[in-house]
Amino acid sequence: MLVVAAGCGGSDPGTVQTLTLVVNAPFSTSPYVGETIARGVELGVSSAGQIDTDNGSYRLQVRRLDNALSPREAIANVRRAAADGAVAIVDEGTGVDASWRIAQDAKIPLAITYQGGSGLVDAETRPNVFRIAPTDRGIAFRLAEYLIPKGLRVAILTDDSGYGEEGRAALAKSFGSNPESVAIRLRLPVAAQDLSPQVLQARRAGASALLVWARPATIANVLTAARSRRWNVPLYTPPSGADPLVRQQLADQPDWIDGLVFASGRMTAELGPQAWERFEAQFEGRYGPDRVGVRTAEGDEVVQPPEYAMYSYDFVNVLAAALRQAGDPKDREAVLDALNQVTVRGANGDERGFNLSNHEGVVDDDVYFARFRDMTFSPVNDDPLSSTLPMINQLR
Amino acid sequence: MRGLVLAIVVLGLVAGCGGGGDEGSGGGEEGATEACGAAPAAMSGQPQLPDGFPTPDGVTYTGEEEAGPSRIVEGYREGSLEDAFEAYKSAFPDAGYTVTKDEKEEDDAEVNFEGGSSTGQVKLIQECSDRTSVAITIRPE
Repeated sequence: MLVVAAGCGGSDPGTVQTLTLVVNAPFSTSPYVGETIARGVELGVSSAGQIDTDNGSYRLQVRRLDNALSPREAIANVRRAAADGAVAIVDEGTGVDASWRIAQDAKIPLAITYQGGSGLVDAETRPNVFRIAPTDRGIAFRLAEYLIPKGLRVAILTDDSGYGEEGRAALAKSFGSNPESVAIRLRLPVAAQDLSPQVLQARRAGASALLVWARPATIANVLTAARSRRWNVPLYTPPSGADPLVRQQLADQPDWIDGLVFASGRMTAELGPQAWERFEAQFEGRYGPDRVGVRTAEGDEVVQPPEYAMYSYDFVNVLAAALRQAGDPKDREAVLDALNQVTVRGANGDERGFNLSNHEGVVDDDVYFARFRDMTFSPVNDDPLSSTLPMINQLR
Repeated sequence: MRGLVLAIVVLGLVAGCGGGGDEGSGGGEEGATEACGAAPAAMSGQPQLPDGFPTPDGVTYTGEEEAGPSRIVEGYREGSLEDAFEAYKSAFPDAGYTVTKDEKEEDDAEVNFEGGSSTGQVKLIQECSDRTSVAITIRPE
């Protein structure tokens, strides 16, 4: 059963029915992540416009549900989405290990556009779960491929959040065959502000680099613990290192962020940055620039590129194509089947789509590295992929 | 160092086809049309590939290197990008591998695979009029 807007539900030709697309994200506890996912979805809905099918015309409407990074809340939200007959769920990823079944029973596609946990997506065993976001596996292997040849002794620090635990598992695999490259593995309490003991332990273990897979606040706390003791050890992170919160937390010590390298999905395609720039302009035209809240040394305002919004935006366009192909959005099996068949040109010019054997929308080889300097980041030049990528303008 | 050379080649191709012109299908310049120079020397011996990994006809391997847990094998195939792309796409299923995603653009293409206890990508770049470079990244499953 689909949600039909009051007054528009008849079968008269020419009426446009409404389909609800639920965004299940941490609006209260991680507003940057929640907002960027929801805005990407809203922009995608706007871009998809009216969806004409063999069985009538439809429009998507967005409903935001806050998961507060709590699996229990996330599961309750998916139950609500199922009860309301949502056409699809765009999900940050929390609680998916349980919530996917609820969505599956209701034959609702669930698309993760933030978390990269390895077990979350499996085309065979979780046929209704899709993802457009870099995977933890891809990030972890690319980090190992980048760091191990440098001859570094890496201290692997993960926090005890779900995000950190997923990272710990992914890094165990990617660094598993090169134990000589690992100085120590430490688990950081996510609630701890002072991480000096753990950072000191890493230093004493002979670490020549820190790889911190943790939430943004923990990354800032590790930087504080290391730099306040004048330990200028190189620091590497997954995408959470680029979260504005890290820079906001260290706004009065900008030089502590200099040199931080993070891994994330490339924003621009092989064809060049033009498609990305159009998407970014569209995003800013609607929402304004996403201000980080810090400035460069010269006083320029720093903004965050809508990287993760792009993934949500792309999923909505894949969904719209699938609804058209399915012919009848009320035929949920047909919609799920169509999601395995359609491909669209994504916001950055890359193709986005899934197939029966693969529900991952971002390939491991699209993970790149960027280094911070003066509160903005640019691709590194000592990695073959990264060195070909343009710097994304982050100043306004 | 081979990685650096590959990066420079890719950079050159990207720079050559960007240019602020129309992007996407049909709007840009033709693929690399310069005549090919001498082909790189073949490597001695065979690269270390996963069990049953397919090598389409006409592929010559020129080198390999380790990158932490992964391996990068490089080579080339005489002929067009289109032919190389289709050759890999059809060779993988025949060898019992799965093509997880593929994409072809004007001057480059990727075929992502899973099989032989590994995952990875074959990256193809039209180097010159009649040669396509091949870079295979292999990651343990």
